Amino acid sequence: MASTAPDPTTTTTVAAQAIDAVKVYGSGATEVRALDGVTVGFDTARFTAIMGPSGSGKSTLLHCVAGLDTLTSGRVLVGETDLGTLGDRDLTRLRRDRLGFVFQAFNLVPTLTALENITLPDALAGRKPDQEWLDQVIDTVGLRDRLGHRPSELSGGQQQRVAVARALANRPEIVFADEPTGNLDSRAGREILDFMGRAVRDLDQTIVMVTHDPVAAGYADRVIFLGDGRVVDEMHEPTAERVLDRLKQLGD
Amino acid sequence: MWTLTVKGLLAHKLRLAATGLAVVLGVAFMSGTMVVTDTIGRTFDDLFATVYDNTDAHVRSAESVEVGFGMTDRERIEAGVLDTVLAVEGVAHAEGLVEGYTQIVGADGEPVGDPGMGAPTFGINWPERGELNPFDLAEGRAPERAGEVAIDRGSARRGDLAVGDTTTAVTQAGVVPVTIVGIVTFGGADSPGGASFTAFTHDEAQRLLAEPGRYSYIDVIAEPGVSEEELRRRLVAALPGDLEVLTGSEIIAEEQDVMREGMAFFNTFLLTFALIALFVGAFIIHNTFSIIVAQRTREMALLRAVGASRRQVLLSVLGEALAMALGASAVGVAAGVAVAAGLRALLAGFGIDLPEGGIVLSAGTVAAAMTAGVAVTMVSAVLPARRASRVPPIAAMREVAVDTSSRSRLRIVVGLLVLAAGVLLLAAGLAAPDAATVGGGAAVTFIGVAALGPVIAGPVSRVIGAPLPRLRGITGALARENALRNPKRTAATASALMIGVGLVSFITIFGESAKASIDRILRDAFVGDLVIDSGSFGFGGLPTELAPRVEAVEGVAAAVSLRGGPVELAGETTFLAAADPVRLEQVMDLEVTAGDLSALADDGIAVSRQVADGEGWAVGDVVPARFARTGSQELRVAAIYERREAAGDRFISLAAHERHFEDRFDMVVMVAFEPGADRDAVRRAVEAVAADYPTATVQDLGQYVEAQAAQLDAILGLVTVLLALAVLIALLGITNTLALSVFERTRELGLLRAVGMTREQLRALVRWESLLIALLGTAMGLAVGLFFGWGLVRSLAGEGFTELVVPAGSLLVIVVVAAVAGVLAAVPPARRAARLDVLRAVTVE
Repeated sequence: MASTAPDPTTTTTVAAQAIDAVKVYGSGATEVRALDGVTVGFDTARFTAIMGPSGSGKSTLLHCVAGLDTLTSGRVLVGETDLGTLGDRDLTRLRRDRLGFVFQAFNLVPTLTALENITLPDALAGRKPDQEWLDQVIDTVGLRDRLGHRPSELSGGQQQRVAVARALANRPEIVFADEPTGNLDSRAGREILDFMGRAVRDLDQTIVMVTHDPVAAGYADRVIFLGDGRVVDEMHEPTAERVLDRLKQLGD
Repeated sequence: MWTLTVKGLLAHKLRLAATGLAVVLGVAFMSGTMVVTDTIGRTFDDLFATVYDNTDAHVRSAESVEVGFGMTDRERIEAGVLDTVLAVEGVAHAEGLVEGYTQIVGADGEPVGDPGMGAPTFGINWPERGELNPFDLAEGRAPERAGEVAIDRGSARRGDLAVGDTTTAVTQAGVVPVTIVGIVTFGGADSPGGASFTAFTHDEAQRLLAEPGRYSYIDVIAEPGVSEEELRRRLVAALPGDLEVLTGSEIIAEEQDVMREGMAFFNTFLLTFALIALFVGAFIIHNTFSIIVAQRTREMALLRAVGASRRQVLLSVLGEALAMALGASAVGVAAGVAVAAGLRALLAGFGIDLPEGGIVLSAGTVAAAMTAGVAVTMVSAVLPARRASRVPPIAAMREVAVDTSSRSRLRIVVGLLVLAAGVLLLAAGLAAPDAATVGGGAAVTFIGVAALGPVIAGPVSRVIGAPLPRLRGITGALARENALRNPKRTAATASALMIGVGLVSFITIFGESAKASIDRILRDAFVGDLVIDSGSFGFGGLPTELAPRVEAVEGVAAAVSLRGGPVELAGETTFLAAADPVRLEQVMDLEVTAGDLSALADDGIAVSRQVADGEGWAVGDVVPARFARTGSQELRVAAIYERREAAGDRFISLAAHERHFEDRFDMVVMVAFEPGADRDAVRRAVEAVAADYPTATVQDLGQYVEAQAAQLDAILGLVTVLLALAVLIALLGITNTLALSVFERTRELGLLRAVGMTREQLRALVRWESLLIALLGTAMGLAVGLFFGWGLVRSLAGEGFTELVVPAGSLLVIVVVAAVAGVLAAVPPARRAARLDVLRAVTVE
């Protein structure tokens, strides 16, 4: 297992990392250790998938690294920034300026058009979006002709594409995706994964994705397997079949 | 299903609490008003029962003219009647009493009390017989010789007067020096209903208050064994037919009724505001239940899917409403007792002093307030409950349907019809005129505008919110979109505010128009130089000796007095002014177009063109009139004039006034200077004369106009304060709606937080949405207020309302206040939104 831990001296290539991350919910008899000493790094310009059975702590890990939740103990670094030292205001700014998010559902503000949703973080920061980059992102996800539509006028797949575009629009250090294809049919899901893959390969973006779908994980450069709040394995250059096999082994 | 109702109540208790508060406030105001009225009523009932405790019969003239507010102008009787009464067998004692206007002057030189605006100020003789004396001496002794008086404790306190002080009293016979020898209470009250009493000796009272040898009435005590009825029979047999005799019980009942009738106006006045509050509450209850039902669509559908009937769902929602209505109304009734104390303080602040007394919470008050609270709640909840019962079972499987009914054609048609009905009712009510119809018309108009609200909410909010995105970037844009996304909800919330703002702006426009009209009328009609005002409208005022004294001042061309009193003219009770017809034209331009004022003599009447046309009178016609003092008379129409607003619609000569009225006071004395007189010097000389008369205020036209406006301002101020409750309830509605919206948008707000919206931005988002709703309500209210103001002023054009003034400054203040209030209303929901747990919001299933 030691081989999976990032070398702390090579942080330049690590976009974010968790060190001895522990997250405990409840106390006493109802205590649940969702994360039980996780140490893991996410490399820059790579597509990392986090997998594991329900209750393995994969979503909790994502939330904690993304600054949406706080650890009971241990540290999370985004770049050089220790999230544990940040208050709500700085965490919010960090999410707005340095991170991107794609959730399983309800990713878009229903009252805003697709374009307004994409540029929302910049708008919240009171910044003008980088037009050249924005065009690139919009073309990558193929949304040029849908920009004026409200979410209710878009299909589920289109909505997720808008969400991916929004996550990429402010050129974040990392994009966190929590089951981004969970609510989509397989074709729309493949499209989203394709876009995410291209964002990493063509646009040098860093993506961390939680999924329970081996097919989705097959699009990643690397898969980290969690079980009972610990990192139990990892796999580089995965395919859906290998991931499925590994999951079966882990399940035994 | 009842279990479900109870569970539903518990689950939504926070949301229902805010709604309940709207009911509580309305009911509390209503029961508070009734408690005040009941308490005062009881106080007076007890008071009169105590005062007339020993009186077995009350003898007075049968000739009287109703003045209104339960007051009556009654002829006095000859003192010789007392001897007749005393000679009747079975009469143990009898005493003649004389009552009339008196105003005692306080230590600061100002007369105590304000009979023009407030309770009357009486002078009376000190009764010799203890049993018939309504007063209890608290300090000092009874007046025994001329120049000595006893005054009530309330007046002593207000005037800072004590036993042994010397001061003056303003009476019909002039301003007389008096020494206070006694302080009295009246049936246990310091000052009955704020009225003031100054008790003189018997002879002084007759000399100062009436005419020597006359009494207002005679109170009689029977010998033991003679019943009230028997005594009355004997008295009636012995006395001439133009006198009437009441038993002790009857006079108590009559005095109690008179006071109740006087209070009834007051009660209606306050209850109107309670009803307005409940009306606003109805909007909020309706809106809250609509939102809750919409948010629970899936729950309702699930119930239907598992076998609940429509009726059961309907009853379940109505059950929740009923439980809330009962709880909130009960709290409201209890809170009403506290409100009663507050109302009393508020009214005291505006110079309306109410007597002290133990709080009376009658069963009638409880029943009426509970009924009103429950009825308003249930009526408001019926439509949402019906909507809940119509949720199809399949909705359980669907995402919550989008409500598209906001701009339906049906809504526009129905809204316009209701609006038209309201406007027609208003017009009919104004034409009648009938206050209840006007009120109903206004309510229906509000409902019509509210029904159209969802249609206009979109466009209007878009316009009001247009600068928001530029001002506040994405937060502003989101706030505007949030306000627009559910036009029905936004409109319903804004409508509640519309009512308060509409009424306040209406009152403001009406008040400013009234002031401008008064100003215009007086400036047009008044051609004199000074006005000596008493602030009185017929009861008391300026001793008549003042006018001749002013006229004797060098440089004064004329000092023309204006008097008046009640008369029954052609079958209707009205106010009849009196003035010297010839000299009146020196100070006032009446534009006489038929007949001649100089032909008024002592049997003529001058009437305005409006009255003449309305009654079909022409110069030379004879009009039947009835006076309290002289009974049925005939008046000859001598002149018809156009400017009715300055001197009123009808007046007679001073000579005729002296013949027909016993009380003689000048309400105002208008002064014209000699041409070329030294104005400042003449004014100083007039002021020096007027200084002897504490009730006189010397003003030039500008000051007089200002003083009239100030009186109006005081009333408008009171009305505005009372309307503030309606605005407050509407703000609760905004708070409630936003809280429900925040709850509904948990995931969306969480998403915004996740992608980088700061807490401050989130609070601003809620705040701006609130501001938009408040401004929408204000805009609707201003539109309705403008319309009401225009309508009323136009309909009163014949009454002298020549000016329609839209006071931009005051209306702007209303907008600013509403905006600030809207921001404040957003504080609790904004705080709640900002405290939202980001993670829970975005991961909620």
